[in-house]
Amino acid sequence: MFKFFAGFRKEALILLRDKAGLIILFIMPLILIVIMSLLQEVGYSSITRELNVEVLFIDNDQDTLGLKIGKGLRDSNFFSIIDSLDGKPLTENSLKEAVKKGDYLIGIVIPKGITGSIRDNVRLQVSKTLAGFGLFNPMLLNNIPVKAADTVTVYFDPTVKKTFKNAILSAIKEYHYKIETGMVFRTFNQEMARLFPTFQPPEQDYQELVQFKEVFPTYKPIEEIPNTAQHNVPSWTVFAMFFIIIPFTSSMMTEREEGSLFRLQCMPVSFMQLLMSKVFVYLIVCFIQTILMIFTGMYLLPLFNADPLVLGPRIITIIIVTIVIALAALGFGLMVGTIANTHQQAAAFGAVSIIIMAALGGLFVPIYLMSRMMQDIAALSPLNWALTAYYDIFLRGAGIIEVFPSILKLSLFFSISLIITFFYRTLKNPLNK
Amino acid sequence: MSIRPIIEIRDLTKNYKGTDEPAIKSISLDIYPNEIFGLLGPNGAGKTTTISILCGLFPPTRGTVTIDGMDIHAHLPLIKQNIGVVPQDLALYPTLSALENLTFFGNMYGMRGEPLKERIQECLIEFGLDKVARKQINSYSGGMKRRVNLIAGLLHKPKVLFLDEPTVGIDVQSRIFILDYLNEINKSGTTIIYTSHYMEEAENLCTRVAIVDRGNIIALGNPNDLLKENPDLKNLENIFLHLTGKTLRD
Repeated sequence: MFKFFAGFRKEALILLRDKAGLIILFIMPLILIVIMSLLQEVGYSSITRELNVEVLFIDNDQDTLGLKIGKGLRDSNFFSIIDSLDGKPLTENSLKEAVKKGDYLIGIVIPKGITGSIRDNVRLQVSKTLAGFGLFNPMLLNNIPVKAADTVTVYFDPTVKKTFKNAILSAIKEYHYKIETGMVFRTFNQEMARLFPTFQPPEQDYQELVQFKEVFPTYKPIEEIPNTAQHNVPSWTVFAMFFIIIPFTSSMMTEREEGSLFRLQCMPVSFMQLLMSKVFVYLIVCFIQTILMIFTGMYLLPLFNADPLVLGPRIITIIIVTIVIALAALGFGLMVGTIANTHQQAAAFGAVSIIIMAALGGLFVPIYLMSRMMQDIAALSPLNWALTAYYDIFLRGAGIIEVFPSILKLSLFFSISLIITFFYRTLKNPLNK
Repeated sequence: MSIRPIIEIRDLTKNYKGTDEPAIKSISLDIYPNEIFGLLGPNGAGKTTTISILCGLFPPTRGTVTIDGMDIHAHLPLIKQNIGVVPQDLALYPTLSALENLTFFGNMYGMRGEPLKERIQECLIEFGLDKVARKQINSYSGGMKRRVNLIAGLLHKPKVLFLDEPTVGIDVQSRIFILDYLNEINKSGTTIIYTSHYMEEAENLCTRVAIVDRGNIIALGNPNDLLKENPDLKNLENIFLHLTGKTLRD
């Protein structure tokens, strides 16, 4: 134990004197978390934030549909409407050209008379329905002019993501359905009033009958979930914690390449004892790193107009899970640092393997968006187990019992990494275990 | 000599994976207490491999090593407690001070508290480093680093001290100081096993030398005896070149 603490002291001193290393360990993850959170803020908060995407908009209709879509886009705070370029009113050609050049992401053209066309078609449908009850002279139908369905054209820059495109189209379609339903309601009432003079139409205009309520079931109530910080902070914390294997393996390789390990191997101290003192120092580093990232989520992100991280009621569970994740990361680092022959090998393999495990683990793309096969593979990534544990705590208010499966998997990963390290070391150097 | 050897090497052979030639071939050798034993040879002769096996860094392919009556395989932790190693590389932590380095290495030998502090202080004064003991190693000159490297190997007063080219790359003053010190601790009972490319240094320092080439011991004895056996060759360097040839080895 005494040698363990001597190793711990030595390792801590080396780390504290490495200013560049400290910046990499503590400042870089904070920069990462702020940047990634702010970038992803768009995806999560969508139209609730003022993003101000400029949309080219031509309203040739100048009636209900065109006006409603224009107003809806303006009111969303998500878009700002551009209806002229270089002081000239937009034409369909100039709009198309501007989108083609990539100057604007979206251009919308509302055709002339589309509202009138909807209105006429609604009248036709209502008349047909009433005629079915013998309440309308079917002969009149022939007098109603029927127009072919008009088309709202939406021009998209080819770089626009499919999800963004679908969101725009859904919004326009929603305006159209609302207007059409309202028109059906009003036309029906008008016709009923015409046919039955005693008929009293409702005082209120058409209102949506179904309301939607968002509910996020949790093990223990958590305020303000899910927000961007609840998603981002855990995910980038896991990423940064596993990335600690770069400085960790670097410290192992430096010791080996500078000859200190040679000297230590000639001393009456076990290799695993030395490694454990190193692990303990980096475990503390991981823990401080996590605290800093949580504080960043709680206090720094809101300064950038992003949602704050809500820690929730499960502090003890967060601490336990953090320790287990850190051990899993360091176990992997031990294995890489022991098996690699050079600094370059350790750094390259370490970095690439973490990025692969992060991608597979759902840190970059949510697991539920992956194919079935990729979801099965993702379930094998330690970063996925870590992320699942954190999400369970931060988003579902889970306690130690609920996150136990993830804790068990991460602990097993740490144990297996240690066993592989020990056996590899014994194989290579049976005298110095 | 009828004294019991402190190091007994029997039929020591080491084959590295992927190489055809063994690094050392069936070496047998006795080293006696209080000797300053020089292991000399060109690059790739097998010196470092022999020293590494003697220090317990890796096992031989064949053969046995006994240090102070204990088999190296069976009693390695105990043997490690009684040997000191001074590697050729400066095996120190550059961002730690001499004091911090020596405290750590002393701790690894199980030393602690006041006795360790006193021993470190004694060594630092003796090696003229007490004034700079709290400065980081990376601010030291080559000679100062070599001296700290040496202290780290003998803090625990080992019975046997292994030195792999301890005077490489330092000025004459530091070299003479180190060699004088080695003579001094040898007189007080430390057996020294030493490798070097400086033949003149070995000739003056060593009580016995083994010239190793291509994994074999090709000459063994007191430098003066070797010179008497080869009267035409005026010094150890000439004997060395006569036995190993002038062909470049690496």
